[in-house]
Amino acid sequence: MANIKPSTALHIAIVAATGIVFFLPLWWIFVSAFRPEEDIFRYLSPLGIETFLPTRWTLDHFVTLFESTFARSIFNSLFVAVATVLGGLLVCTLAAFALSVIEFPGRNIVFTIMIVSFLIPFDAIALPLYQIMRGAELQNSYLGLILPGLGNGLAVFLLRQFFLGLPKELREAAMVDGMGWFQVFWRIYLPLSGPAMISAGLIMFIFQWQAYLWPLLIAPATEYKVAAVSIAQFNSAYGVAFGPIMAGAMCISLIPMIILVFFQPYFSNSVASTGSKE
Amino acid sequence: MSIFNKAVRTAALAAVLSSVSMVAVMAADVTLTLISAENDAVVAPVIEAFEASHPGIKVEHQSIPFESMNAAIEARIGGGDSSIDVLFVDSPRVPSMVARGYLKSLEDLRSEIEPLVTPVALDALSVDGTIYTLPLWTSTQMMFYNKDLLDKAGIPHPGADQADRLTYEQILDLGSKAQAAGAKYGFAFEQIDRYYQLQPIFESIGGGSGLTGAGNLTPDITNDKWVEGATFYAKMFEDGIAPRGIPAGQVPPLFASGEVAFLVGGPWRLAGYTSTEGLNFGVAPVPYFANGKPVTPTGSWALAVSPHSAHPEEAMALAKFMTLDPQGAFKTVEANPIPPVNLEAFKLYSAWFAPKFPGVGDDAQKIMGYELRDSAVSRPLSTGFVAFEEVMNRVFGDLRNGADVKSTLEDAQRELNSTLARIQ
Amino acid sequence: MSKTKNIYVALAFLAPALLAVVCLRIWPALLSVHESLLAPRATTYSLENYIYIFGDPIFQSSVWTTLFFSIVVNPLQIAISLGLAILLNNKLPGTGFWRTLVLLPVAIPASVSAVVWAAALRPDGLMNALLGLFGLGPQPFLTSPQQALACIILVTSWIGVGYWMTILLAGLQDIPKSLYEAARIDGMNRWQQFINVTLPQLRRPLTFVLVADTVSNFLVFAPVQILTRGGPQRSTNLIMHEIYNRAFAAGDKSSAYAATVVLILLMLTIVAIQFRMMSDKGES
Repeated sequence: MANIKPSTALHIAIVAATGIVFFLPLWWIFVSAFRPEEDIFRYLSPLGIETFLPTRWTLDHFVTLFESTFARSIFNSLFVAVATVLGGLLVCTLAAFALSVIEFPGRNIVFTIMIVSFLIPFDAIALPLYQIMRGAELQNSYLGLILPGLGNGLAVFLLRQFFLGLPKELREAAMVDGMGWFQVFWRIYLPLSGPAMISAGLIMFIFQWQAYLWPLLIAPATEYKVAAVSIAQFNSAYGVAFGPIMAGAMCISLIPMIILVFFQPYFSNSVASTGSKE
Repeated sequence: MSIFNKAVRTAALAAVLSSVSMVAVMAADVTLTLISAENDAVVAPVIEAFEASHPGIKVEHQSIPFESMNAAIEARIGGGDSSIDVLFVDSPRVPSMVARGYLKSLEDLRSEIEPLVTPVALDALSVDGTIYTLPLWTSTQMMFYNKDLLDKAGIPHPGADQADRLTYEQILDLGSKAQAAGAKYGFAFEQIDRYYQLQPIFESIGGGSGLTGAGNLTPDITNDKWVEGATFYAKMFEDGIAPRGIPAGQVPPLFASGEVAFLVGGPWRLAGYTSTEGLNFGVAPVPYFANGKPVTPTGSWALAVSPHSAHPEEAMALAKFMTLDPQGAFKTVEANPIPPVNLEAFKLYSAWFAPKFPGVGDDAQKIMGYELRDSAVSRPLSTGFVAFEEVMNRVFGDLRNGADVKSTLEDAQRELNSTLARIQ
Repeated sequence: MSKTKNIYVALAFLAPALLAVVCLRIWPALLSVHESLLAPRATTYSLENYIYIFGDPIFQSSVWTTLFFSIVVNPLQIAISLGLAILLNNKLPGTGFWRTLVLLPVAIPASVSAVVWAAALRPDGLMNALLGLFGLGPQPFLTSPQQALACIILVTSWIGVGYWMTILLAGLQDIPKSLYEAARIDGMNRWQQFINVTLPQLRRPLTFVLVADTVSNFLVFAPVQILTRGGPQRSTNLIMHEIYNRAFAAGDKSSAYAATVVLILLMLTIVAIQFRMMSDKGES
């Protein structure tokens, strides 16, 4: 690493500085998780080393947190998010493929329905949706949590945009070779759509990971409670227990962090390198 | 668990409900759902005691955050969900819940409830003379003061007797004195922009609750006394004696970290403050206006049985245990030291309370005793209370941030007129 | 192969998604429309709720606030996302890690990030301490009707730009390197390459980000609820907060549903315009 050019070094420095600026508020959460409750807001101003490093350390908040239903709920969140991503990717890629590759009458209508579906504010329809789901006896079940995440109009839209960018010749050549639509999908389009699938998976993961009002309504039982709902119980009518909330937030953000770091290499492994782009 | 299984169970339950005798048979293995806005740890002791004395009934607690309680009740009770059996109900919300049919009349329990509560408390459980909820908790306030900050400024510690009650004018004076001697803030309310804690300002000065008329559905927040109270409230932020811009949730930690000289707060703060290292504090009664009367906020959660409960008998057993049984009622406050309404339970609570908080327990107990008896004023009972409270919380937020007092109140009065008209 | 014959194949591909979307989004939305047409205590359809909200100065101002917010926040976030995507589109050591940090804010519950920002934006908070280092005086931030909306923009951007950046980054990496080589041979400088190669090649991901970001900004709720409750003096009363308030605080669900329908129609109009703007002849 001795022969890094000054311009490269500057680039790295700017990149790192950007990352740190975005991370600073999270770092403050992490640090607060290890502070005694009364120290959390003590060192906000003026800025000093103690603003970003605890002067007194404690693990009490994690003890409180894991004595509650949190461990179970973090599993629930993860299970729901992963199941949604897997199921949702299947459902949404199939739909996006039909909307971008297959030509059929009414395509624009179906596409419009998909667009409208993500314009609908999910929290604002939570009450009627709750009635529907309860009618299907899906309250307090994983299905009740997962189902609303599967048909994600936004993910369909994203994947469609990607499929539209793949050359028509790919499909035409394959069909000349006698492939059916499903084979074209499975053997030609799917293998090329790695990065787009990761982005779409991210959309669905975030949808579930951020979900709060819906899980609170449909699955409040301890057995199915998700992490965001679980830490909200430290915000009671008699005051906010900031310590356990910070500890919970730290756990909640560490999991996607690990997953994202793991998936980062795949973002750059794009179709550009395969030379198949239009 | 398949849909089919659930359907069968639902059908079975329906059959069971039609026959009271069979409920007793089913009691062998019933799981009740209790919902509240409390942390699991708060209700754990009472659930444990109930399960021990009622073999065959299990209780599952679901904690719903306070901010989301309305949405959850709206969806679940409003939607006829049978998965809630017993629920905590914020007292001022009782009328609107009754209006929506979310609560059943409990008139048949009148003879059991009456001897256990004060007439004021009984009123808070009722709408138009009919009892709808069971008496769970009540609340009161006291003024916490930081002894070190007061000593530094040479301010004598205020006494805990009713006769020692200071006026708001004196407190602001002492507050700014403490600030001059190093305190960051002189005075603050724990719920700094919430109606519950600020109502006493207006009641004490003689402005009323803000709602009048039939069913308390007419806003009355622009009278001279309200303007006077609101001006006082706004001024303490203007002058920097009280903290502007700090979110309500982050105010109590200010006192814990020794940055506030005087803080009006609830007894639920005692546990946290006594265990805070290096915090040396005492308690005194809540201030009042020199030309007004002493007023403290009161009221808290009541308990109700859902009209859609699949296990009404067992649910009622749990609800009664938590409220009418003195031992049971006492267990509900063990992990959250707030006064129970049940007078017998209150005796147990008082005896237990003082020694639990060495140094301040005796004073706090004394204050709670006379405030609950003499100065407590409930929030107005109204089907429009929730809407009113939301608007008022916003008004207090705006006043705190320096908005013009008169126009803010007038604007809110217009908004309330329009909103409450939809409710009538 | 005829288009009509394709319809069965297409429906087979679309069935799961359509079923999910129609049952779990469209149907409940239609139920909301139904409710919005019923005035309180009424049993027949009428436009009374719509007349009521349009006559309500508070609702009107929330629509204007939301539109103003959109006009500022969307271009800002997209520009920042694109800038970040270009900055982080490299194979330098550690870039993957820094990208993750930029993306991470979207992964924590909005209720928690709002707590952090509430602390940071306190008059005695981190932000003013930071400004102090640069010799700037303390700002009122969330307590000022002039600055509160800007603070909401800051917080939602902190949460969102990493997310949009990730999608644009995938788009950037799909651009064949050969196009840049050709552009360099033609003597284009960096800026010309950006205008003539990058932007046209990014059209599809940019369309996606523009539409998706616009929609998500119309639906901003949690930061407002926790940081400002719509204040001071309604300066941050975005439409979703107004809807939530009507439904659950004022207990006026019918006018909340009417407001929801208005919001959806508003978004639909804006999104349709965006599609028209971003489309080219090749696309239907």
